[in-house]
Amino acid sequence: MTKIDCHMHVKGHHQKWSWDDDDRIIEAADRLGIDVLCASIPIAYRMPTMDEVRECNDDVLSAMRRYPGRILGYCYICPGYQAAIDEVSRCLDQGMIGIKLYHQYKIWDPAVHVILEKAIAEQVPVLMHAGYLTTKEQWARQPKMSHAGDFVQAARLYPEAMLIEAHVGGGGDWEWTIKQLRDAPSVYLDTSGSVIDEGMIEMAARELGVERLLFGTDMTMEGGVGKILGAELPASDKERVFWQNMQAILDRRRAS
Amino acid sequence: MLIDVNTYIGHWPFRQLRHNTAEALVRRMDDRGIGLAVVASIDGILYKNVHPANESLSTQVQPFRDRLIPFATLNPTYPGWQEDLRRCAEELGLSGLRLYPHYHGYRLGDPEALDLIHAATELGWAIQVPMRVVDRRQRHKWDLAEDLAPEDIYTALAQCPETRWMWLNSLGLDGTRLPAEAQFLVEISRMTAVLQRTIQALIETTGPGHLAFGTGMPFKVPEPALLKLEVLDVPPNVVERIAWRNASEMLRAGNQGA
Repeated sequence: MTKIDCHMHVKGHHQKWSWDDDDRIIEAADRLGIDVLCASIPIAYRMPTMDEVRECNDDVLSAMRRYPGRILGYCYICPGYQAAIDEVSRCLDQGMIGIKLYHQYKIWDPAVHVILEKAIAEQVPVLMHAGYLTTKEQWARQPKMSHAGDFVQAARLYPEAMLIEAHVGGGGDWEWTIKQLRDAPSVYLDTSGSVIDEGMIEMAARELGVERLLFGTDMTMEGGVGKILGAELPASDKERVFWQNMQAILDRRRAS
Repeated sequence: MLIDVNTYIGHWPFRQLRHNTAEALVRRMDDRGIGLAVVASIDGILYKNVHPANESLSTQVQPFRDRLIPFATLNPTYPGWQEDLRRCAEELGLSGLRLYPHYHGYRLGDPEALDLIHAATELGWAIQVPMRVVDRRQRHKWDLAEDLAPEDIYTALAQCPETRWMWLNSLGLDGTRLPAEAQFLVEISRMTAVLQRTIQALIETTGPGHLAFGTGMPFKVPEPALLKLEVLDVPPNVVERIAWRNASEMLRAGNQGA
């Protein structure tokens, strides 16, 4: 079964991760049958400079050139800079497939509007780090992290945007996330994250519709694949989650 | 052949679980080729008096004693655990112990905990300790337990060298601080066979005799753990050790039916 990982990362100057070389990603993908990985390098827990953002994207572009056809790139952007739109254009012109946002701004923040409008114009998805944490201490570390309610708000402003809420399995209370996201039918949910709770994927499919789910790992590679394989869903639904839904998103840009 | 050292039956008060009876667990084991499983009661994690959970566990696993190896849950800070331990061993047919220091309010090195650990060890029981039950990021407001710290594990291994330990749901253990001569198994459900390769890293530092297969059912989907065995790039005899042989040896050492 074909697999497109919609949420992955590669190494770079600003993210060393825990593996020695990105060859390990390809080796892992080969072993798990993952054909394509959509990757980014975000900067977390602080406000990056535009130069740092460009360096992150240059490292992703290098990975795309090193593994053509296996690694696709998201352009990481920190909204609020005038140069942000030019950076999106630079990255898309060099073959990136989407935009990655982290937790520097809520997704509905006016500073983000211009990014979402650019994504709509370019027909590319916006993958954003997200979650609903359950303690004040956790929120204090990421006070502007978007949760599903924030996605509902943004989707009402921009219903034509292809918004992807990141890692239902890495963003806290997944039942809260799924129930909240019922109110935003245009928003996709990625299945990545280290949480492999039984019933999570089935609930997401039941409440949101399988057409809104995108397979991802966010570096939890066996867990990412295994939670879809183990979900009590028909094989045709797993095909949609593993690759068809993401392929349809990628095809929209190609067709535009 | 597979032995799953990390399963449960029962109810978790903060999220509805499916497939959480002994019958459903065995059915899922059958579907996935898992021959034996160590099982404990979820209920005992949050009962004040945990012993009724042991009684219920014993009754529920009775039809499946050839497949399920029931482990007791005991709280050394609650009165009467000595008598409960005796009943678990002599009357209920339980054959090992699963401890929750983070939920029951003690540390493994506390005197009362050591008393229970020594008593269980004298019975020949292996002792399991989950580093966590659920992911901290999604916990209920009343689920206040912190993850077990690796330091507590290193201390327990040093203080109780005669005890046979199984560390469940473990991640982030420093293999150089786990004495290879100690009797312990680290369960793999949170570890990785690819990319970060934390399973291989532990094999390099402690040898292949200290890892064991576990799924975390019914909290977790079993397929990720099965995939890890499938993609693990170590010799077949090492995979076999992780899949069942290490667990079998540890359980047989206490006549725990594997």
